[in-house]
Amino acid sequence: MTTRDLVLISLFAAIIVALGLLPPITLGFIPVPITAQSLGVMMAGAVLGAKRGTIAVLLVLLLAAIGLPVLSGGRGGLAVFAAPTTGYLIGWVFAAFTTGFLAERLVSHEQPGLVQGVSFFIAALIGGVVVLYAFGITYLALVTGIPISKAFLGSLAFIPGDVVKSFVAALVGRAVMAGYPLLPVRA
Amino acid sequence: MNALFVEGDSWLHRLSPRAKLLALMAISILLFLSRSPWVLSGAVAAGATVYLQLGMPFGKAIGRLRSVLLTIAIVALLSFAVNSAEDALVALLRLTALTLFAAAVTATTGVGDFIDEITLAARPLETLHILQAADIGLAVGLVIRFVPEILNRYAAIREAHKARGLPLRPLTLAVPLIILTLKDADNIAAAIDARGFRRQGMHGRTKNSSI
Repeated sequence: MTTRDLVLISLFAAIIVALGLLPPITLGFIPVPITAQSLGVMMAGAVLGAKRGTIAVLLVLLLAAIGLPVLSGGRGGLAVFAAPTTGYLIGWVFAAFTTGFLAERLVSHEQPGLVQGVSFFIAALIGGVVVLYAFGITYLALVTGIPISKAFLGSLAFIPGDVVKSFVAALVGRAVMAGYPLLPVRA
Repeated sequence: MNALFVEGDSWLHRLSPRAKLLALMAISILLFLSRSPWVLSGAVAAGATVYLQLGMPFGKAIGRLRSVLLTIAIVALLSFAVNSAEDALVALLRLTALTLFAAAVTATTGVGDFIDEITLAARPLETLHILQAADIGLAVGLVIRFVPEILNRYAAIREAHKARGLPLRPLTLAVPLIILTLKDADNIAAAIDARGFRRQGMHGRTKNSSI
């Protein structure tokens, strides 16, 4: 791995950590306050690509595991991984990978801005919502014995917020690509 | 950013990180194999004893775990509503025990010790040419180093928005933050390479030199 890639990964991990320190935002039409940190996860894939984005997320999880309060709300330490919502943390890794994987393939510089935005949105939605919730809900069901259908219903309230985040991640991905393109990933 | 490590000299502090992590892994497996509320209650009692004996004031010790315990409680309630009381109790006890043991390991193991342990564990990956083990410690150090700068930059961008009378929108705040931060990457990478921090097989030499 080039030093530049290592630094890009570390800096983006730092961005994800910084986003966790921002207070949750309450939008009027969504019942649950949304935290900015999972937005950072989607953006990691959209901005850095699949490989670097995934490693950035893994780095954040490592920092949490070794006892640093990097998760939103100042959470950290191994105890965080004992919670039933750990599936979402595991899901972050695959969400970043999926978003990056799709973004690398769907988006190109020749496309008009709108097409790029839509492509990023699809990538962020499939990665940051579909894949993420698949992991979160499945883990919850496995660990607590709650049937998947009920676990899904329990998580429903959070989905609108994450769809909004996918939209923001798409806009950010497109804007960053215009200003400092890191996609397509050069070998 | 303060680590969750708590200074002390208990037996748990003196145990090696590897022993603690392996023990935690073994305890996790045992906890998930058991479905008996009695065994699991015993585990919770054991975990609480270990964790609360570390010397932290009770309020502070539990305060750290507040969000995790709250999540566990909510999920246990959901389980009670959807499954049986026994299922809910098993889930509650099992996860609470795991939380207490995990928190005890975190409180008694320093960040540096963890990194040393992980670097050692990653050596086999180095021979497989997947990664350089010492890069992990370097990456962790970089993140810790740059989080404050990113927060400062975010504050500056917010101020700039206010000075121009612009509404604070996630999009207009995040984009400059990301672009400006990533543009630093080239300079930082050059500085790292100039100091030879990533030369193959020479990490040990530069370990004790200051930046």
